[in-house]
Amino acid sequence: MKKLLSHVALIVCVALGASAHADFVVEVTRGQSEAIPLAVVPFAPPELNAASFDVAQLVSDDLARSGRFKPMDRKDMIEQPHTGANITFDDWKRLNSDYIVVGNMTTDGADHFTIRYELYNVLTRQSLLAFQITSNRPGLRSAGHQIADAVFEKILGIKGAFSTRIAYISVLGRLPNKNYQLMVADADGENARIVMQSREPLMSPAWSPDGSALAYVSFEQRLPSIYVQTLKTGERRRVSAHAGVNQAPAWSPDGKKLAMVLSTREGNLDVYIMDMATQALTRITDDPGIDTEPQWSKDGQSLYFTSDRAGGPQIYKVGIHPGDKPRRLTFQGSYSARSRVSPDESQLAFVTQEEGAFRIATMDLRGGHSDMQVLTKGRFDASPSYAPNGAVIIYATRDKGRGVLALVSADGRVQQLLAPSEGEMQEPAWGPF
Amino acid sequence: MPGFLREHSWSLAFSVLLHAALAAAFLVAALITVNKTLPTVLPLPVDGVVVDSQVLSAAQKTLTDRAEQEAARAKAAADARAAAEAAVKEKAAADQKQAQDEADAQAKAKVAAQVSAAKSAAAAEQARADDAKKRAAEADQAAAAKRAQDAQRAEDAKRAEQQKREAEAKAADDAKKAADQRAKSEREAELKRQLAEEERVSAVQSGPLRDQYIAQLQNRIQRAWIRPPSARVGLDCLVQVTQVAGGEVTSAQVTQCNGDTAARQSIENAVYRASPLPSPPDPALFMKTFSFRFHPDQ
Repeated sequence: MKKLLSHVALIVCVALGASAHADFVVEVTRGQSEAIPLAVVPFAPPELNAASFDVAQLVSDDLARSGRFKPMDRKDMIEQPHTGANITFDDWKRLNSDYIVVGNMTTDGADHFTIRYELYNVLTRQSLLAFQITSNRPGLRSAGHQIADAVFEKILGIKGAFSTRIAYISVLGRLPNKNYQLMVADADGENARIVMQSREPLMSPAWSPDGSALAYVSFEQRLPSIYVQTLKTGERRRVSAHAGVNQAPAWSPDGKKLAMVLSTREGNLDVYIMDMATQALTRITDDPGIDTEPQWSKDGQSLYFTSDRAGGPQIYKVGIHPGDKPRRLTFQGSYSARSRVSPDESQLAFVTQEEGAFRIATMDLRGGHSDMQVLTKGRFDASPSYAPNGAVIIYATRDKGRGVLALVSADGRVQQLLAPSEGEMQEPAWGPF
Repeated sequence: MPGFLREHSWSLAFSVLLHAALAAAFLVAALITVNKTLPTVLPLPVDGVVVDSQVLSAAQKTLTDRAEQEAARAKAAADARAAAEAAVKEKAAADQKQAQDEADAQAKAKVAAQVSAAKSAAAAEQARADDAKKRAAEADQAAAAKRAQDAQRAEDAKRAEQQKREAEAKAADDAKKAADQRAKSEREAELKRQLAEEERVSAVQSGPLRDQYIAQLQNRIQRAWIRPPSARVGLDCLVQVTQVAGGEVTSAQVTQCNGDTAARQSIENAVYRASPLPSPPDPALFMKTFSFRFHPDQ
């Protein structure tokens, strides 16, 4: 794991003189951003794990994938307690484990499992969590994600996103037998299932704010149209099929509007907002250049979008009210496109061009001018999308000649490839909580 | 220069006064004797350069002669007064002596008569008393000799005992004094040592070694703090640390903190992770309790 230790400087201020002893204060102004060492002890004997599901391993993998934790290897565990009462804290401290998750999975023999788990701070010996989850066999994976979420939040103070889902496009086969699939999977890439498939291209999946539906572009009728599909029922509805281009749908935070890109007869692309109830359109940009890839601000009053009005593509922001003027946000590099706003709108992720390669970069949106930070090192990194807790960005990249999905922590410290499924994986979109 | 003035102040004063007196004399003489010849001389006592030296010496001589004449007159008068007073005194003394001598002679005669009478009576009485005394003395002599002998022995024993006690007391006293002296010296030495140590400790606590110790603590805690996402700029937390000799942390308590649970926990953990804390370069710098203040600046 890549470990970037931030430079640490401590400013010390101490009063001199006789009273200094009592007032001895060492000031700490920076810390490490390394992963926290913890141990997730197996919840069940190997036979039961093999026969059912190794929940503790999933918890451990989730936490590791977040980049925030460094789970201990099982073979390094000198004991495997299942309850807090059996933890020898000194031993785990010697093993440099700051936290320990212990649990006990039992089954009544039928398809019914009970997991009791506890989280302890090894250093202070405090019990931080003690919960019980019941599940059937297929639900054990989900139970593991829930445990990982709880542990993540308890220790870091931010909500875990392990129980969330991702959507992406998977392309199988070669022309003329290409097959496009719109997929939804667990955040760890597992449990993938097909939402929609077509022999014509599928593009730009976008989650509704409540996670119940996806909007996407389909070329199934030769020309691009925007569809909205409810996940539970599979019901789909074409919401935009104007002449020319219909692309890049984006849901407003309240789920009532869809921002999208439409074209004039001359082929000029501009950003519009469509009221989902009335299908009424409001034009937001009006520029001879290409304006595309809209993305809503947190308050729903502005749109971020990509425009080449100044030459190369750059990111702009514009209010949605008449007369609002676009403001350019990116100035570094000749190429900044496909932006996504972090959930708290503190950060913007986008694709930049660097050394002839396309990479994922971020930029701070708080306060004045900030330098962009390039997070990835690939050649064809594309389509960044924030996890709903803002801690991780999922993006598309190429690995050994095929399209795969990858994760990078929002601070760039940790990068991981998601387990690849078959086909070329493209355009990931991280769903809401 | 001030030293010189102080040292020769009398000589200087004298010199100044003498000059002043001379100048005054010159002025007076000039006014009296050479008023006509020197009408343009200003009456400045120290402006001597314009005065003619011959006139000056003449004036000085006149002044000196006059002073001598007056002194002679005064002396003659004083001598005459003294002679008269001495004659009066002599006469009074002679009168007083004569009266005293007469009184003494009368008293002596009276006393001689009384003594003579008393002497004859006393002689008779003495003769009787001596006789009785002599007999009694002879009778008592034997007994007395024995008693004296006993007393002497007792006295000797007592004295020996006394001397022994005194010797013992003195020895004890000497021992005590020596002990006291030793204790006093030790106390003083200890006090001196303590003072020296306090001075040294104080010097150490405000010197470069203290900075070194703080740097060591900094290094250790900086590597130990895994900063959670919630520990942003603006976080300000104080954690009180208790350590034992050897640096092992026995408690870490966040006392003031505007952060969330995760931030507090990360801070306490940082302290425990840093345990054992580095030993100070000088034991005088060791603190059982002190604080870290966590407030990230970026």
